Amino acid sequence: MKLEVKNIHKNFGEKEVLHGVTFSVESGKALGLLGRNGAGKTTTIRILMDVFHANKGEVLMDGKPFVPSKYQIGYLPEERGLYPKRTVIDQMIYLARLRGIKAKQARENARKWLKRLEIPEYENRKLETLSKGNQQKVQLAATLVADPDIVILDEPFSGLDPVNSQILKEVVNELIADGKLVIFSSHQMSYVEEFCENIVIIHQGTVALEGNLRDIKHEYGQNRLILSAIGLTANELAEKLQKEFADLVQIDKIQKDSVVLELLSGHTRKELLNALAASALEVELFGSYTPSLNDIFVARVGEEGEVTDHE
Amino acid sequence: MSKFWIVLKYELKEYLTNKGFVALTLVFAIIGLLGPFAPRVFDLSDFTGVQVVEKSEESSEKKEDKDVYLYIDSIGVISEELLNSLMPEDEWKPAASMEEMKTALEEREAEAGFVVVSPTEYEHYMYNKGMMDHVATVFEQAMKISYRANYCAQHGLDLEEVTEMFDVPLTSREEILNKDTSSNYWYCYFLVIIVFMLVVFYGQMIAVAVTNEKSNRAIEVLVTTTTPNSLLFGKVISGAIAGLVQAGAILGAVLISYRINSEVWGGALDMFLKIPGDVLLTFVFFGMGGYLFFAFLFGAMGALVSKTEDVSKSIGGLMMVIMVVYIFSLAQLTNVEGPIIKVLSFLPFSSYSTMFARIAMGTVAAWEIALSVIILIASIFGAGLLGAKIYRMGTLRYGNPISLSTALKDLKKSE
Repeated sequence: MKLEVKNIHKNFGEKEVLHGVTFSVESGKALGLLGRNGAGKTTTIRILMDVFHANKGEVLMDGKPFVPSKYQIGYLPEERGLYPKRTVIDQMIYLARLRGIKAKQARENARKWLKRLEIPEYENRKLETLSKGNQQKVQLAATLVADPDIVILDEPFSGLDPVNSQILKEVVNELIADGKLVIFSSHQMSYVEEFCENIVIIHQGTVALEGNLRDIKHEYGQNRLILSAIGLTANELAEKLQKEFADLVQIDKIQKDSVVLELLSGHTRKELLNALAASALEVELFGSYTPSLNDIFVARVGEEGEVTDHE
Repeated sequence: MSKFWIVLKYELKEYLTNKGFVALTLVFAIIGLLGPFAPRVFDLSDFTGVQVVEKSEESSEKKEDKDVYLYIDSIGVISEELLNSLMPEDEWKPAASMEEMKTALEEREAEAGFVVVSPTEYEHYMYNKGMMDHVATVFEQAMKISYRANYCAQHGLDLEEVTEMFDVPLTSREEILNKDTSSNYWYCYFLVIIVFMLVVFYGQMIAVAVTNEKSNRAIEVLVTTTTPNSLLFGKVISGAIAGLVQAGAILGAVLISYRINSEVWGGALDMFLKIPGDVLLTFVFFGMGGYLFFAFLFGAMGALVSKTEDVSKSIGGLMMVIMVVYIFSLAQLTNVEGPIIKVLSFLPFSSYSTMFARIAMGTVAAWEIALSVIILIASIFGAGLLGAKIYRMGTLRYGNPISLSTALKDLKKSE
């Protein structure tokens, strides 16, 4: 299955919140859908789910118009929501039934996922009596109860402790390995890096960056180097580099003990290395810098302020 | 359609397994069932006029503790015997002086005092004046009888003959060809109150349930699994069924139990509880119609707010309409052939009580009933579809409450 979102526009009243969003995702590969708060991720997801209608553009599945009701879709919304006063099993069966699963199968599926997420003992408990982490797991189980072909996970790790996070990681990896089409939205970039082959960053309603994560990292890291020097703090080194090597490099990022540099166009690493060797700097570390997704994200959409992590 | 049934079943199960709902229904049904047996256990003969249980000793003693009334009659107009014969449960005694009478009243040894000034004039003394004071009427009656007796004696007339001539006993036979408005009035009154309570109670419950789904974000998942129509219709109709079950159980228990015990009540509650079957059917039909009409609108109003504490604000306008209809319906029950109730009986927000009242108490042509039914059914579907649109638009909009006018404007724009 290949899901394609093509040139989606969406207005709320006079305000256009999506201005031509385009991306695609295939079965067996997870797509990281990223963006700052209010960028348009949830609106995009709701258009995919047919909760909202796009004002312009189209969503295609294998080249044909995508009809969500023809597919089993599991959606874990960022704003978690189930019925606090009803039992876990009852509401899981209810949601499975609404997704077209027969009652008996719905009960079996509910039990299977509760067992997989290591909370089978809570099936007859009211949701409100469970801890936040276990409620989160019930929510995930409810997302998967109909054994969906398409899984959309919005901040699935929010509120989970490291042990539960590990269980969830395994489940997500299993879903990808099972050939499910997974869309993964999170502000926790490490998880996105772990699961997603492709990413799309939405910023202010437009696609700021889209493509294969490895290629993006490679491209972004091409002219970037990491440098540290003996006897100088990262700040002192950055100051010295700005004074003495401004024609060769510019400072990209100051880290705890090192500085990330970007080679100015037309210059090579060898030129910089020679210049450093000729200077009084005692170089401790000099090498290629592989950017993290967080670096790329901040570089692309973080100019107007810090990214807020949802933990 | 199948998803509608799934929602309906789930929501209905929620009502029927809710401990509060079950307990409330059972408690009131049991009270309703046992209440009409009361005259078999307690002496209610003063109210029912039927002696089923022997008066207890305490009750007999109480009767011996008679209320005392005093009078001063210096001109010899009235007799103690006559007064005591008119009020055999109480005791009339002459007072020696005004001081004695006033002291007795102040010390609450006497209930009231009367001073005869002339054969046609008297003074009435009391410590506190109550809302219902019948003693003066009795005293006046005694004075009139005495006056007539004196007059007859002075003019050589036979008192009995005169009384018979002025109070000639009449016999009559009554045959009602259509409706007995006077006896239908009270159960119509009673049923209008019941349907009003159901509309308000269940309407609010639906609005709160919708807002709850929004505030606990269950709606985020629900709207991706089924249509707003299925969700709202399932929710409203399950509420209607639950309401019917609850009201049916309670009202049914009262009516059946009263029917079993009607003899021991001496028909004292017939005006409320001896409801003809056709009136009950009309009540159920129009009551359910009105309930569904408002319930869809309550559901839509619930979707316009994100917090349960804002629900009352959102449903305020709707409650106002229901209150106005309620007041008009009750006020117009004594005039079911009047123009106001005729107009109200065709409007969907008022026909549930007014057309029902007209059918029960007045003369309504078949075409009028048919027209009212068609308007009501069409309005229920209209309210359902409009409610579902507002519901869909409102459910995923969080934050400040959305006004109905804004919601309607946004709907118009989106179309």
